Amino acid sequence: MKTMTEAQLSELERDLNVIRDAVVADLGERDAQYIRRIVRLHRTLEVGGRVMMPFGFIPPVFVAATAALGISKIIENMEIGHNVMHGQYDWMNDPGLHSQTYEWDTVCTGESWRRTHNYEHHTYTNIIGKDRDYGYALLRLSDDDKWKPQHTLQFINYILLSVFFQWGVGLHELESERIRRGEIRLRDKLPFLKDFFRKGGRQAFKDYLFFPLITFPVAPVVLAGNLGANLIRNLWSSTVIFCGHFTQDAETFTEAECEGESKGHWYLRQLTGSSNFTGGKWVHLLSGHLSYQIEHHVFPDLPAHRYPEISEQVQAVCRKHGIPYNTGSFARQYGTVLKRIFAFSLPDRLRARVPALTMGQAT
Amino acid sequence: MLARQNQSKALQWLGKQLFNREDPAAFFDPLLERVNPMWVQQYTPARVVQTLQETSDTKTFVLKPARRWQGFEAGQHVNICVDIDGTRRNRTFSLSSSPILWQSQGLITLTIKRLPGGLVTNWLHDHLEVGAVLGLGEAFGDFLIPEVATPVLFIAGGSGITPVLSQLETMAAQDYRAPVSLLYYVRTSEDVIAGEKLEALAARYPALTLSIIPTHDGASPRYLSDGDLGTVPGLNGRQIFLCGPKGLMDLAEELLQSRGVRERDIHCTYFSAPRANLEHQALGGQVQFSHSNIEVGSEGDANLLEIAEAAGLTPQYGCRMGICHQCSCRKTSGTVINRLTGQASGPGEENVQLCISVPQGPVSIDV
Repeated sequence: MKTMTEAQLSELERDLNVIRDAVVADLGERDAQYIRRIVRLHRTLEVGGRVMMPFGFIPPVFVAATAALGISKIIENMEIGHNVMHGQYDWMNDPGLHSQTYEWDTVCTGESWRRTHNYEHHTYTNIIGKDRDYGYALLRLSDDDKWKPQHTLQFINYILLSVFFQWGVGLHELESERIRRGEIRLRDKLPFLKDFFRKGGRQAFKDYLFFPLITFPVAPVVLAGNLGANLIRNLWSSTVIFCGHFTQDAETFTEAECEGESKGHWYLRQLTGSSNFTGGKWVHLLSGHLSYQIEHHVFPDLPAHRYPEISEQVQAVCRKHGIPYNTGSFARQYGTVLKRIFAFSLPDRLRARVPALTMGQAT
Repeated sequence: MLARQNQSKALQWLGKQLFNREDPAAFFDPLLERVNPMWVQQYTPARVVQTLQETSDTKTFVLKPARRWQGFEAGQHVNICVDIDGTRRNRTFSLSSSPILWQSQGLITLTIKRLPGGLVTNWLHDHLEVGAVLGLGEAFGDFLIPEVATPVLFIAGGSGITPVLSQLETMAAQDYRAPVSLLYYVRTSEDVIAGEKLEALAARYPALTLSIIPTHDGASPRYLSDGDLGTVPGLNGRQIFLCGPKGLMDLAEELLQSRGVRERDIHCTYFSAPRANLEHQALGGQVQFSHSNIEVGSEGDANLLEIAEAAGLTPQYGCRMGICHQCSCRKTSGTVINRLTGQASGPGEENVQLCISVPQGPVSIDV
């Protein structure tokens, strides 16, 4: 990580706070209308998808229904659920859009996600050993983990994780790696598992049982469409999230260097640990504006649709302080993610022999 | 809390399964709202059908709530919610109409005075027009007319007349057979709210003795005095209802007590007063944690999370620096300052982050 003096870090903190304060002072009608419009879009797509699905025996209708339902789930998870549960719209004081009460359309319970994501990941971003989102305790993505033979096959693990992403996220709090290491017992996780099965059961019931059954004669079509919609959502959200922190130049940190850190240091870590990708308006909407992952990590509770507006200012702050701002096209960023997953599946000696696989960071 | 339509157990279960919410109908609210705002299920909607200018700074809003609203008794209040610049604001107002109007025509009225610097009252005056829809809670409060006719004295000040209007109208309609007196204090004769209505009531309801007393019409102010109480026959046998500014209520209670009126014969209702000049007031205050029934005092800029923990409570928390919102809780009353922004919250019900909220005066929190 770039080294800065405490005075420089304080200045960085002040510079970023100026941006934040300006947005907070300006929050109002426009933001409320934006999120309400997105919620309406979600409801329309979901209702449309569900209504069309039974007619999915007509191939183009099947494609349209599956796409509508898949996109509705993507919008609900990314632009609504993720952002609402970050407290971005708490100021609206609307119980339907409040971080403490929102429950989203995915297996992971809101409660569990608020603990593992809002708290753990956003407080300890990319600190190896503390941020369990880094590689999801499943993938080796930096030198901080020692190479083991099983890592050779981690590309398969990555594909499985992407396909079943909602179940992976749902089970994240189980901390299975700590259970395997004997640090905690499965029994300690029983309350969590109860919630997991309840919510996961609900999600499976709705998509794989209820809607197919009430349209009985065409149940296989509805089941296939719902599976497809969930798959589209899983693959897309997993990809967006991997592009946010596991690109080639996204940095990782050690516990030691973050001990007792100042707010300025926390800001620096968020700036250098995250990565953006560019794209059209729709790409940003469908990624819940996590295409602006840097802005999101610096200001997780500002309404996400504001990130494009402040991005230029954040970049200016980065330039002023000589901090890299990691961005690129979606294809480029995703390419470096795949490269990272592949590179760290190899033993260090082997990787060192292939210059193309050097990762641009030293920890 | 705002009223919701009661759903059957089966619907609730299905709502949980299909939409991850107790109330499946609310899932469709964003769409229903576009078609007809009166179809919203998340709260009881009420449409403004008429507005009446009572005085220069007081208006009466005639509302038609969705039929599922449960009704009220004279003297009760209601929470309303309106979206002002994107933020949902809840405030409590007394109902000024009689329940008979609701039963016969499905209408209720709120009589609202502008508070100096008041965010919601001024917004209502300036923006709430005929056709608009607001959210309505179920009525509450025990500022109620005696069930058995006994002599009554109302002492009202300014906009404190609003619940009394509802009560007097109800008493007149029921032909409440016991002496009823009203001492109504207003700043000047221009500030009399519903003056004509009161005169008309007094004319058709002989049991009512009406005294409207301007306090600032003369050279020197003329407040409630022992002499005023002396004009009320049989004071000590009356049920006494006080509603108005704190100064008037305190003075009335003092004078009544010195005349030997029993505490249990005095009924008070408060309506929120604006807190002017927030930044000049000291921080800290009594904090009431309503779920756990603990009340503690705080001083200086200790935040609600620290105060709760010092009191032995363990509210949910995360980053302790205002990022993760793990500690957001419902504030039911009082004002807090956001440590990050320096901004004061509203006095009403809203969610606050415990770790960055500093009480300013007495605060109630659902912890």
